Amino acid sequence: MLGSLAVIFFILIVFYEQANLNSFRFEDKTNNLSDADISEPKFAINNKTKKIYITASEGNFLNKDEVLLKNNVRFKSNNFSIETDKVVFNRNQQTAQSKTRSLFKSENITISSDGFNIHDKGNKIIFHGNSYIILK
Amino acid sequence: MRFFVNFIIISLISFSLCSREIGETEITTEDGIEVFQDEKFYLLKKNVKIESDNFTLSADDVKIDFDKSLYDITNLYAKGEVDFFSKEFGISSNGDILNFRVKIEKLRVEGQGSKLLTKDVEMFSDGFIEVNNQNGDFLLKGLNSKLINESIVIIANSIDGSFVDKDDKKEITFLKVIDEKISYVKNNDTEMYAKKINFDYDTSIIELIDDVIIIRNEEKITGDYGTLDTRNNSYKIKSNNQNKVKVIIQNNE
Repeated sequence: MLGSLAVIFFILIVFYEQANLNSFRFEDKTNNLSDADISEPKFAINNKTKKIYITASEGNFLNKDEVLLKNNVRFKSNNFSIETDKVVFNRNQQTAQSKTRSLFKSENITISSDGFNIHDKGNKIIFHGNSYIILK
Repeated sequence: MRFFVNFIIISLISFSLCSREIGETEITTEDGIEVFQDEKFYLLKKNVKIESDNFTLSADDVKIDFDKSLYDITNLYAKGEVDFFSKEFGISSNGDILNFRVKIEKLRVEGQGSKLLTKDVEMFSDGFIEVNNQNGDFLLKGLNSKLINESIVIIANSIDGSFVDKDDKKEITFLKVIDEKISYVKNNDTEMYAKKINFDYDTSIIELIDDVIIIRNEEKITGDYGTLDTRNNSYKIKSNNQNKVKVIIQNNE
């Protein structure tokens, strides 16, 4: 009985928070869209074995090579994906750096960390700080 | 109110994220992970803790080799204050370095004060201890290498041997013990010293080579070569031409 009450309470809280989050996201989008240099930017890192596609909601040029990608940043290849909020992507060197909480997903493995770096055209991925891995 | 609601949500989500389910392996690190996809390995850095259904491991740093994907672990190399426990294999181990080759189930622990304990056998060494869980082979090398089980104590620089599981116990079937200074074996009430000591389960004979001493009760016999039959606990000692077999019988009365 107590368990089911706790579950109902939890679901109500989640719905309440989701409604708040949606309104926040909408406001945030309308306020910040004008600040972005690129809307829905798309890039790719190519190496000899795979291609990593990079997408985000917004992007701002920091200089000739570097782009700051913000909101729903996603790296996707045929065998993994990484999601985070902010990434600096270097188009020339094909590297990426993030200092925001990141979630890596691959077949039967999940890694959450305090950020990440991608080097060597995606061959080397460094996850920073306190990291938590689940292997299934 | 809002803070309170957020706190509950974050706590619940964190709890669900941090709880390992059956069949999963959970790894935590303090200083991140480096994944090398082409070279097929990853480095777990600083205060690493691994927990799975089969084993738990903690160490300063860990390198993991994988085959098809990151979860397909073939080799685990842990360094710095390594602490390993496997409920499945009934093994606990400590050392500076631990290497576990998953497919062949070979465990090696290295460094001063290395220790490997099973239900029936205790192994210690300041060099390394190696155990193959599939075929029962073991090897201890280095200073202060020592093996202890219910009926035998072995101290030497090199202890090479093999176990088999009999009646839910590990029994030694083969033994090759070498120490340039002197090896020591205690079997039941008999203490044996020699530079080389061999044992073969099929013949039940312990063979003693060079600088042999056998001590039992008040008897102390020295020579150059000796054998002890573990079935009836009888022994023989021979000497080279130059030396003679010497027997000392102490009277404690």
